[in-house]
This record gives sequence, structure tokens and C-alpha cells, in this order.
Amino acid sequence: MLETRGLTRTFGETRAVTDVDLTVPTGSMTGFVGGNGAGKTTTMRMIMGILAPTAGDVLWQGRPVTAAERARFGYMPEERGLYPKQPVLRQLVYLGRLHGLTAAGAKRTALEHLERFGLADRSDVKLETLSLGNQQRVQIAAAVMAQPIALILDEPFSGLDPKAVDAMADLLREHAARGVPVLFSSHQLDLVERLCDHLVVLAKGTVVAHGSVDELRHRGRLLHRLVVDGDAGWVRDIDGVSVLDVDGGTAVLELVAHDASDRILREALRRGSVRELSALVPTLSDIYREVTA
Amino acid sequence: MTTSPTTSRTGSTSTTTTSSARTTPPTGGGLVRDDERATGQSLWLVVAGREMLVKLTDKNFIISTAVTLAFLAGSLGLQALIGGGSNKITIAVAGPQSRQVIEQVGRNAEQRDQPMQLTITDSPDAAAVTAAVRGKSVEVGLVHEGDAWRLVGLSTPATGLTASVREAVQHQVLGANAAAAGTTVDVLTRGSTVDVAALDPNDDPGLRYAVGFIFAFLFYLASLLFGMTIASSVVEEKQSRVVEILVTAIPLRQLLLGKVAGNTLLALAQMVVFVGVGLIGLSFSSYSSFLPAIASASGWFLIFFIAGFVALACLWAVAGSLATRNEDLQSTTPALTTILVVAMMVGLVGEGAVRTVGSYIPVISTVAMPMRLFTGDAAWWEPIVSLLITLVFAAFAVVVGERLYARSVLQTQRRMTIREAMRAGD
Repeated sequence: MLETRGLTRTFGETRAVTDVDLTVPTGSMTGFVGGNGAGKTTTMRMIMGILAPTAGDVLWQGRPVTAAERARFGYMPEERGLYPKQPVLRQLVYLGRLHGLTAAGAKRTALEHLERFGLADRSDVKLETLSLGNQQRVQIAAAVMAQPIALILDEPFSGLDPKAVDAMADLLREHAARGVPVLFSSHQLDLVERLCDHLVVLAKGTVVAHGSVDELRHRGRLLHRLVVDGDAGWVRDIDGVSVLDVDGGTAVLELVAHDASDRILREALRRGSVRELSALVPTLSDIYREVTA
Repeated sequence: MTTSPTTSRTGSTSTTTTSSARTTPPTGGGLVRDDERATGQSLWLVVAGREMLVKLTDKNFIISTAVTLAFLAGSLGLQALIGGGSNKITIAVAGPQSRQVIEQVGRNAEQRDQPMQLTITDSPDAAAVTAAVRGKSVEVGLVHEGDAWRLVGLSTPATGLTASVREAVQHQVLGANAAAAGTTVDVLTRGSTVDVAALDPNDDPGLRYAVGFIFAFLFYLASLLFGMTIASSVVEEKQSRVVEILVTAIPLRQLLLGKVAGNTLLALAQMVVFVGVGLIGLSFSSYSSFLPAIASASGWFLIFFIAGFVALACLWAVAGSLATRNEDLQSTTPALTTILVVAMMVGLVGEGAVRTVGSYIPVISTVAMPMRLFTGDAAWWEPIVSLLITLVFAAFAVVVGERLYARSVLQTQRRMTIREAMRAGD
């Protein structure tokens, strides 16, 4: 499990990140969302030890992370970085060795990942001759090839086409499935919603929401929508129901009393047909807009 | 009741299901075996290995090394050719007396330890000698007519040869005249001997300049080449942001150490090849008698070169880390190139006190001290003291360089000044 406790960073007078507590549980995919300048990259750089925190700690399995443990984290920086003028395979082998693999082991896993990404026949060309999407794939291979114990990925999906997004998502799930905490930032909320078990929302350098996606969805009051034939104005008279809005046959309401739904259905059926009574679970975008407002 | 059709958790689950059915290998396909994990490997060695591999597979580097070697071998070969050519003379003579004179020239040259290779051709008369010279079958001819001797060449014969022939003629005539007068040459020339005593046999100004030039040139060339290599290697990693990945895997100190070690080793190897070729070339030239002195100076030169190079290596890395793009190196490296130029100039043209002082200043001593050793005006302890000074400076430069490098290498936003790097925290 990867955690941060009170992580804070100031640049001169500016506070980029304030008191960030976040938890990336073992084997979970945790999405890290927030607007531009919210402090996601700064937080990730502190987790990776590239930036020293002004205050706070990064914990691995409950204890402050050591350099040796960090060396086994897989990292993908926001600004992609590999050697543009070096052959693809050679630099992957080099990075694999720096992450503690033998030369032979690094070569085998590097080739395996290139094979997987359909780049096996391009292993001897210079990185800069690949398309941006393929360079991104090599970057991903660099982050995961040494079988990291944690993955910290800054915008791993940006610049990928839909097919590559799926392949990337599969890869990340595989690593999560073997018990690796995966933290990734993204602007694509639909993607985060599709992939993540956990979510951390950052705004202006502080955590404004944190938890499993289900928890976040249901933490506010639960609203329902009722659709009936004819005007739905009568719901205002039902006990234990707080009506937010009525528009013709559609009403948005909160069921305050336990048995309010039964009473609504009985009354509605007495008056005619019920088209719909459903829970209005907020989408991630709704939650995001709400917490960052 | 609380499940909405709009929820996409189910969507997520279904994607997982399809993913395991895809062609991608199942979980664990990319797993690393235990025997593929290196234990206790020194990461700086991995970095050093890469630095060398990149350089050794760099076409520009290979070509420039080959060109320098060719230049070195070519200039030595040319020198040997010219030197050898002046000692090799074909000469036509008419009559036994002329032949004796030329043979005497050969003996005199041998006594002076500057043997000449004389090929003597006998001609029937003066006209035949002149014809042979004109026909270029010989270079010069010696003709004896009456009391007159004539050395014939297509153009004016070389002054050295003329002097030697004149000396031999005089010796022979003097002998004949002395015998006619009932005495001997020895009696006549008694008390007139002038011996040459070379107090400093290595003090050949031309050679001294040549050795100084070669040391200074090689030092400047290699320091600049490999210094710039270190700086560009650092800025390349910074510019491409790969440094962010590197620092998460390896301590900055090891990264820096690897770069310095790899490039120092390559610079040294290149220098050993250059100096080796130079010494071999020298052994075939007319300066071969200077070989022991030059070889010893070269040995010191290599030792000083490593110390001087290491002292600057970390500062080259700082020059790279202050930049954000390769183009910035133009504004972050001039201080270092200036040091190299000064070191080269002091070694090349510095005389007396300037060179003596220079031979104790780190980096400048790389050229100045071997030069003093070569000309023999440095005591045995002087290079040792100078080397110690350089090593102390190198240690200091490494510590300062590492600190500045660590502070600036992750600042990718813009070019930093050295002052900013000194003030910056981590």
C-alpha cells in the first residue's frame, strides 16, 4: 500500500500542494484527477522522490519509503522522456538494468514488451523515428518492464488512440491484479470512471474528495427520478418525499422516509402508468464538478 | 433500487472480462524471474558502460579519432621522410681523389653520429659527371680539375653537404701539402681542436616546440571533446526529461560518477593510442635519440591528463545541467573552454616563471609540468607536489560539481545561472 501523509510543497511563496493525504491500496487502480495546476504532477514527483517535500511523508507498507523501494517503482513522467537518438531496445535494456535487472533479463523483458506492443521489428531503430503513439508505448514499456512494486503514471493515456488506450488499460489491470498499487492521473474522467476502483480529486493543491468510486457516488443525498403519464405535481403531497423539481410528468425527488417509494408507486399506479422510478447516481463528472466547484 | 442504468461500474467489469479474452498475454506474461534480478551490481558501472557504448557507436567520434590518428601518423611519416631524405645522397665522382674526398665525408659524418648514406658512382671525366647530374641519375657530382674542386648540382647543393665536402677537401689537401712539407696534419692542426659539449642534449628548440605543441594540442582536443560529451550527455537527458526516470532508479551521485568514469576512460584510451602512435613514429625518425626523454614526459603527461580531466569533468556536467537545451551549452561552457585555452597557451608559449607557476596550477599543469620535465628544469619532487595539488582540486571540484549538478539537473523550465544553482535548495 502506498500512502502520503501531510504532503506539502511550496515554491517560493507559492503553495503548490498542501497537506495531501492519499492512499493507493494494494492491487487497486486509483485515479488522480484535478484541473491544470491542481498539484497532481507535483504530488507524483514528490512520491517518486524527484522533488523533496516541504513537509510530509511518503509511506510504503506503512513505513517511510526507502530509496531502494522507490527504485522499484515504475514511473511515467508527465513530460515524456527517453533518449530520442538511441535505438529503442538499447535504451529499454539500459533502463531495465538501472532498475536492477541483469543485462539478459532486461533484454528479454524489453523484447517481450515490444512484442506485445507490436514494435518487435522496430527494436533497432532510433526512438525519434517512431510515431508519437509508438514512442508513448515504448515509454510505457520503460515504466513497467522491470516488474515494479508500484506504478505512478502521470497522464498515461494522453496521446493514445482508442485501441492503444484499451491495450494500456489491460496492461495496468494486469499489474494491479498481481497486487501492485497503481496511481495514475488523467483528464479523461470517463476513462477514470471505467478503470478505477479508487479516486482522489485534487483542487488547488488540496484533496477535495477521496475514496472508492462507489463511496463517492453515494456520499451525497440520493436522488430519484419519477416519470409518469400526466402531470406529476401530486408528488408534493406525499409524506416523506422532498421534491426538488417537477416538469410535466417528470419529477426529481429525494426519498426521505424509508417507505416513501412504496407510497409514491401506489399513488402513481392509482392515477395511471409509471414509466420510471430510478436512482439518479451521479457520474464522475457530476462528482468532480461538485467537489471542485 | 439504487442501481441506475447510467452507472458504468458494470461497463468496467465487462471490459475486464473482454480483456482477458484478448490476444494479449495473461497476467504474469511480463514477469521477471529471480535470476534476472542483478544483485549488488554497481549502477555507476552500468552508466559508464552506456556512456562508452554511445560514444563508440557514434560515427562522428570514430571519424574524428581516425582523422586525428591519420594526421599524427602522416606528420610523423612526413618528418621521417624528409629527415631520411636529407641523409641519403647519390653522388657522381671523376677520379680516385674525388672518390676519397666523398668517402672522407662519409667517415666524418659517422664520427659526428649523423651517418650519411652516400651512393658513389664513378664517371670517366668531368663532362660525364655534369651529364649525370643534368640527367638526374645522381643528385650531385664532384669534379677535380687542376687545383680546383667543383661540387655540381642542378641547383645550389645543400649547405650542409657543401660544408662537409669542403671540410673533406681541405683535410685531404692539407694532408698532401703537409706530406710535401715533411710534416703531418696532426702537427699542423695541434691545439686547434674545438669539441662540442651539449650541456642539455634535449634542448633542441624545434623539438621542444613540437613536443609542447603536440601535448597542448592533444590535451585541448581530448578535454574539449570529452568535456563537451559529458555536458551534452547531461543536457540530452535533461532536455528529453529522461533524467526524471533515471533519478528514480539511481542516485544522482552514481549517475554523475558513471558519466565521468566512462568518459575519462575513453579520453584516456584515446590519448594512450595517440601518444603511442606518436612515440612509435618518433622511434623511426631522426629524433629517436630523444625517445627516452619524450616517453617519460609522455607518461607524466598521461597521469596529469587524467587528474586534470577528472577535475574538470564534474564541472562539465554542471555546465550541462545548467542548460535546458543543447543550444544553451554555448552560454554555459565558455568558462571551461577558456580554462582549456589558457592551459594550452601556457604550455605552448609560456616560458620561465610563467611556465613554472603554471606547472603548479591544476589543469594548466597538465601541459606545463610535462613540458618542464621534458626540458629537464623540474626537480623529481615537483611533479608529485603538482599532482597532489591537482588531486586536491579535483576532489573539491567533484564535491562542488556534484552539488550543483544535483540542484540544477531537475530544473527543466529554463536555463539557470551558476549563481542560481548555488543558491537553490533541492
